[in-house]
Amino acid sequence: MSIVDAFILASFTVPERIYVNPQSVLWLLPLVASISVVYKATKIPKIKAVSFVKEVVILFGSIVVFMLVTAIVLYVMAWLVTE
Amino acid sequence: MTMRSKEAHALFLVVVGLLAWLVPGGGHLAINKKKHAVIIFVTIALTFCTGLYIGSIGVINPVGAKPWFLAQLMNTPAVMALAKISRAGGYAVYARPSEIGQIYTSIAGLLNLLCIVNAVYWAHLRRTETTGD
Repeated sequence: MSIVDAFILASFTVPERIYVNPQSVLWLLPLVASISVVYKATKIPKIKAVSFVKEVVILFGSIVVFMLVTAIVLYVMAWLVTE
Repeated sequence: MTMRSKEAHALFLVVVGLLAWLVPGGGHLAINKKKHAVIIFVTIALTFCTGLYIGSIGVINPVGAKPWFLAQLMNTPAVMALAKISRAGGYAVYARPSEIGQIYTSIAGLLNLLCIVNAVYWAHLRRTETTGD
């Protein structure tokens, strides 16, 4: 086994260091991107690059905006209850 | 549709479903949707590998996290081999990396389940469109 192979394998046996902080929420973005891509791939019968990318971006944006709105609503509700 | 061709069609749907489970995008490749197959394979494999990279192979835990494991199993049967390695190696993972790794690998599995259903549906639709049944 070469050093490169060993390094690649080793990186899958030790977890990354991710702390519980507001930045860790950003890990949702790649996941939302992959959900958007796969969902649109199952919905569009004939894929054309430009329209496919456009549809994926719209879905990605919609999900992120909806989550932001939900977060703001929950934040305001929590603020109203605790103040 | 005759009885024999109905049986052949049902068998074809099972094969498409199995292929889609064996390799993400395999079902779409079987029904000649190459672009869909490539997109699905790359996206699901990347999501799954990202989850393994973040949380390590320890996120595949068939004993302590059974519901997550069932979702992870939807990626490919090869997850069972990974579970064996994970159990034998005792790769412990806790806290945030464990959560994020499990979410990524499980969502990848559930996305592949969606693709399995979609491939079978399109395979069925193609047949009914050509025969008119």
